[in-house]
Amino acid sequence: METTDDRAGAARCVTAVSSGPPVRRIRSRPFGVRPWLPGAALLSAAVLVAVGTRWLEHPAVQAWRTVCLAITLQALPFLLLGTALSGAINAFVPAGLFTRVLPKRPALAVPVAGAAGAVLPGCECASVPVASSLIRRGVPPAAAFAFLLSAPAVNPVVLTATAVAFPDNPAMVAARLLASLTTAAVMGWLWLWLGKEEWLRPLLRHRATGHRPGHSRRTEFRLGFQHDFLHAGGFLVLGAMAAATFNVTVPGAVLDAFSGSPWLSVPFLAGLAVLLAVCSEADAFVAASLTGFSPTARLAFLVVGPMVDLKLFALQAGTFGRAFAWRFCTATTVVAVAAGVLTGAALW
Amino acid sequence: MRYPARILLPALTGAGLLHAALITDLYLRYVKAGLRPLLIGSGAVLLLLALTAATTRTGRRPAEHGRPAEHGRPAEHAGADDQEHADGDGHEHADGDGHAYGDGRGHTDADGHGHADGHGLGYADLGGPADGHGPADGHGHDHTGTPRVAWLLLLPALSLLCYAPPALGAYTAARANDKTVAVQRGFAPLPTASPLPLTLTEFTKRVRQDRSRAVAGRTVRLTGFVTPAGRDGGWYLTRIVFSCCAADSQTVRVRMYGRPAPPADTWLAVTGTWHPRGALGTRTAQAALDVRDARPIAPPVNAYTDDLPLTPS
Repeated sequence: METTDDRAGAARCVTAVSSGPPVRRIRSRPFGVRPWLPGAALLSAAVLVAVGTRWLEHPAVQAWRTVCLAITLQALPFLLLGTALSGAINAFVPAGLFTRVLPKRPALAVPVAGAAGAVLPGCECASVPVASSLIRRGVPPAAAFAFLLSAPAVNPVVLTATAVAFPDNPAMVAARLLASLTTAAVMGWLWLWLGKEEWLRPLLRHRATGHRPGHSRRTEFRLGFQHDFLHAGGFLVLGAMAAATFNVTVPGAVLDAFSGSPWLSVPFLAGLAVLLAVCSEADAFVAASLTGFSPTARLAFLVVGPMVDLKLFALQAGTFGRAFAWRFCTATTVVAVAAGVLTGAALW
Repeated sequence: MRYPARILLPALTGAGLLHAALITDLYLRYVKAGLRPLLIGSGAVLLLLALTAATTRTGRRPAEHGRPAEHGRPAEHAGADDQEHADGDGHEHADGDGHAYGDGRGHTDADGHGHADGHGLGYADLGGPADGHGPADGHGHDHTGTPRVAWLLLLPALSLLCYAPPALGAYTAARANDKTVAVQRGFAPLPTASPLPLTLTEFTKRVRQDRSRAVAGRTVRLTGFVTPAGRDGGWYLTRIVFSCCAADSQTVRVRMYGRPAPPADTWLAVTGTWHPRGALGTRTAQAALDVRDARPIAPPVNAYTDDLPLTPS
């Protein structure tokens, strides 16, 4: 069974590739992977020694390093959980289980998968590897993406944090749940309608990984876990570096400039959610501190934050491919802002 | 280079986590105390991962993954179609994470990445008749390569082990937005101790919300670090507070009067009385202190709280 699947998958890929013009391909090389990299690292180390390390003591650089390390440390346990889960799904879950459990029609599977996101108690870093392993186990990508988007936003841990952060505004929890689920479902359907498999990395297009007869499941689990962790961990550090850069360079005073206008405040807070890359378990507290802004703008912050941000973009680009990541993140931002504004308009 | 990386990276990351969370209190500079068990667990799992990678390397590895014989194969199958794409897509494979297969491209790139990392698996599918072997020998998910982006993990690992950055200080406090002080209804009478230890948040509440004006005339003691207040030479006593990690920090600050600004980031215990400005007990009152005495203290172990019992390290 799997053999034929494999061959069909491979054949599909080949056809898809050879039919297009050669220049059409988008380079999906992740950042910093050239053979001269170790040499460059040595060189920069030499420069560091030569120039001195004084600049590392500058307050801005120290703050950057602290924030960078903070994001990495905060996310690492959850990333480890996510990659272990993804490795386990690959090695231990029988092929076809998910396809049996999910509704046959992808359009129905999307909202079901979105609602299933409520069971993964973690932040967004855990959901990326899990979604990728779901696709590899035969779940339709649209359903896996709905799960990817909803899991970090609607799980009990995050909703409880939201309730704690907004003690005077219980409607915020309901609004967050509703807007996040809507966004996840709409993005799933959007993928069914417009999505193209060739945006995904070849690995994911070619859906028959997981357990192979004759191989030890435990070894497969270990190798998959190890590989996914190293891969996602590298991208996590990259994303943390980008987020820390914005975190340190954008002063808090900029916030106040935008809080007055209701039209500017929504896109501004949505953009802030992308740049700050605050973990979804903490973003409710950040939103609660943005007191100058309207509830709708803060809702947009809460809906966009767990679905799109700099470190997630880096993780997704590494896992699914860059061609996918920028399209998906752009569309998700638009849909999430729309869902936030509509929900906010209905509630407040 | 690959095998050492598979052991080295998890080992160093795990060691860094254990060093920061188990052996020292470094982690408190970056995240909340509640994350400690998770960090220790993660460190242990990573060390275990490195250990198993190290032990199985000599044992089963060659049989399972070393397939030198396959390395030559892709070239045989690189047909005209593949040649056409060769320039653009060496990159597809150059990420070195072992996923390169199935699409038959990039094998002709000059630097030979497609082969160097043992990615030859499964290309043979393209060869049609020859593909009987493909799936059977683990062609699916090749985990042998270490993604090169993983080397970035060295930065936080080494940073934790040898060169941990300090907790956030005045630089961030001057830029972060102020933590909103929650509205409190009803205040208990103040203890009679003098000087009276208060947190910055408590002091702000007493000054701006307590209608009974219990803090009037009282000598209080506040602790925090010095943040210069711009050009006028004034300064604040500040605390940075966060809810999850140092990326979502907020500032609590009380303006200090009557003393020239000490150097930024100095931790102080300051005693003094409320600096009368605005009507005490209303929102017009400014959270400010006339400093009577300021003495340096050791930075607290956990700098990111606005708590009283200060436990110097």
